[in-house]
Amino acid sequence: MRFDSIIIGGGIAGMTCAIRCAEKGLSCAVISSGMSALHFASGSIDLLGRFPSDSVVTNPFDQMPDFINHNPEHPYARCGEKAIADSLQYFTDQLQQQSLQLCNNGRQNHFHLTTYGTLTPTYLSQKSVYSPELEKAFFENQKMALISFEGFRDFHVPLISANLPGQTLFQNRQVTTGTVDLSPLIRSQKNPHEFRSIDISRMLETDEDLQKIADHINELAGDAGIIGLPACLGFIHHASVYEKLQRLVGRPVYEIPTLPPSILGMRLDHALKTRFSNLGGVFIAGDKVVRGEMQSGKLSGVYTENHGKTLLKAGSVVLASGSFFSGGLISDSAGIREPVFNLDLTYEKDRKQWARGLFFQPESHQFLEFGVKTNEQLNPFDSSGHLIDNLYCAGAILAGYNPIREGSGGGVAISTGYTAAEMIIGRTASTGAARP
Amino acid sequence: MINLDNISFDHCIKCTVCTVYCPVARVTHLYPGPKFSGPDTERLRIKNPDLLDDSLKYCSNCKRCEIVCPSNVNIADIIRLASANNPKRKLSLRDLILSSTDLIGQIATRTAVIVNWTMTLSPLRRFMQLILGLSHERAFPKYASSSFSKWAVRQTRAQEIYPEKVIYFHGCYVNYNNPDLGKSVVQVLNRLNIGVVTTAEKCCGIPLISNNRLEEAKKHARHNIDVLKKAVGDSDMKILLTSSSCCLALDHEYKNLLEMDTTGIQGQIELITKFLYETFEQGETPSLKPLRLTVAYHAPCHLEHMGGVVYTVELLKKIPGLNLKLLHSECCGISGTYGFKEENYAISQAIGQNLFDQINDLKPDLVVTDCETCKWQIEFNTVYQVVHPITLLAEAMGCQNILKTGGK
Repeated sequence: MRFDSIIIGGGIAGMTCAIRCAEKGLSCAVISSGMSALHFASGSIDLLGRFPSDSVVTNPFDQMPDFINHNPEHPYARCGEKAIADSLQYFTDQLQQQSLQLCNNGRQNHFHLTTYGTLTPTYLSQKSVYSPELEKAFFENQKMALISFEGFRDFHVPLISANLPGQTLFQNRQVTTGTVDLSPLIRSQKNPHEFRSIDISRMLETDEDLQKIADHINELAGDAGIIGLPACLGFIHHASVYEKLQRLVGRPVYEIPTLPPSILGMRLDHALKTRFSNLGGVFIAGDKVVRGEMQSGKLSGVYTENHGKTLLKAGSVVLASGSFFSGGLISDSAGIREPVFNLDLTYEKDRKQWARGLFFQPESHQFLEFGVKTNEQLNPFDSSGHLIDNLYCAGAILAGYNPIREGSGGGVAISTGYTAAEMIIGRTASTGAARP
Repeated sequence: MINLDNISFDHCIKCTVCTVYCPVARVTHLYPGPKFSGPDTERLRIKNPDLLDDSLKYCSNCKRCEIVCPSNVNIADIIRLASANNPKRKLSLRDLILSSTDLIGQIATRTAVIVNWTMTLSPLRRFMQLILGLSHERAFPKYASSSFSKWAVRQTRAQEIYPEKVIYFHGCYVNYNNPDLGKSVVQVLNRLNIGVVTTAEKCCGIPLISNNRLEEAKKHARHNIDVLKKAVGDSDMKILLTSSSCCLALDHEYKNLLEMDTTGIQGQIELITKFLYETFEQGETPSLKPLRLTVAYHAPCHLEHMGGVVYTVELLKKIPGLNLKLLHSECCGISGTYGFKEENYAISQAIGQNLFDQINDLKPDLVVTDCETCKWQIEFNTVYQVVHPITLLAEAMGCQNILKTGGK
């Protein structure tokens, strides 16, 4: 089996790359081992949220030239300003094709509320999280309601409402809280305490339950002008659930991320995969790449657990297997390694420097900056320092950036995934070495 | 004692991704989902086997949880073993019948005309639901009047002339319900100058595993491993299968779930579509006549689990003129014997509804899938005929005119 490009990893970086390649007519396979980190993510795309001083970046595009100048090894420096902007627009357009609308605040960042009741700057959000209309409604209404579901363990109204007054945007606001009791709607012995975000999403996807829940929300919200709810407003049918709910409660509604499984992230995952499949891409799920096959300095293909002795051949390969959480990087007593190709990494040898004393602190942790070292074209080096020029790295596996401290995780994934695709497209066109 | 060889439940980070994508949990609250039934309660069961939840029986063993798990937990295997090792478990007559495919097949092929007719009678089906707990609404598969294995034995001499040979594990479906598919396999392979050897195989054991009869399944596995190993001998002969679930049993369940020694057959087992795809790729593509048909391909759960879907799809793409539409991969709901049980009927139908809707929207000439029980479920719920990929390929190779389009 041969493909023009094989992408290892089905997260944001891998899927952005895969969609771009497939759209340009390349035969393309994504190999994914289990669902991606999108299921644990807020579903908003951060581009550049914070300066090293911890102050908020208002306009990430204005800051980018300076940021790249100061961080020449940063993945953003590999992509360049134009590709960063193009890639975000591309990503937005591709999701729009699957009826998932992402909104931005022009060239500026906007804030979204976290499941902790804090505000965090981000660049792209689903329209139920941020839209110019929601922003307008937010500033026009002093009174707002924060409503959840009785017994739902993955969203804590008291925690959020306790943190809100500390946020500048929420000072002097009247926030009423309430919980909807779902138990009369449950047609089984299941207890609402067992409900996760997905169960509630599915209930809201049925018109009958939606109507009853909306009535209840309306009652609890009183005269609040805007209503915040946990992000459970439908999974596959989110667009119609959101529209119907707003109509039923007669005022703007916005979603706040919950603990995993994140419905907001799952919507992105579903839209990306559907788009890729519509473009004729091959998605190989639940399989793990175990090693690559090298032939005179080039990668000729990869072996996986399920395909056994069969080599999956590729003109180019993209490694977008994520960081430690997704298994793209492994840390053990011997050190840190990249398990598929044993690539050369950038990381601090002194373990004491890896993490700081406190889990939450603005400087974040150094281990988040560890990853694969690449040249300017995103090509990595093998363990003996030889460049592999038809292997590209994208997303969280890359060294040289701190997604938490900078607020840049989504932006790096999209821009490096897109840039890797552009490199492959250019290379395939120039060598003509695409199809067998 | 805690078995330290099997602590994959400990890798679970409680992310709930498995439950999100579980087809059963999607349609019923009766099933708490694979996370709860698998890794969550496994740690309790290790301490006390009596802490067994009755809801385990709702798991259909589709194994989609294992495909989506980001932490490599063998969720379905944990659930399977827990149900089978339940000290309070009693084997019902219904489950005994459903899982004894060889015995039922042998009786039914001998009396096929009567069996096929009587199973269409509503009073009999109602009686069977009452006495056995088999859903009366479900249509039962038709039996052939003569088995494939009998036919295959008569072919032995004809197959000897081929220099290259493969072993064909036909499974119960080809043997008792659809010998024509097996005959197509032999014709297709013969056209490629490859001879076909069959063995005195028994049921692969998947229905036994699904009905918690692990000891019985092990006996079948032992028998099959022995006869197949003997047939392979010191050659490098491949063991080919047309049924994706039999393939899962031989290639995965024997070793991982039943803990059998599969030396001698491991590495030889392959789904036939992969074998043919690779043979074609090596330059031996036969001439294929165009099939001007729109076909919808449904990927069976067990084939997804093994990563074999890509080969079937790429093989089908080689047939000229074929307008191939890939259905969004979803469980059809039948899961072998699961959907035949009275208590699962409604769940099984609800799971498959999305798939049936997709097919009805597409209005294809035919539906194609590698799994026989998916075929029964789709034919039961739509007006479309469902065929195996090899049936299409045999048609394109001009082997035999067996394909009847336009309804089932």
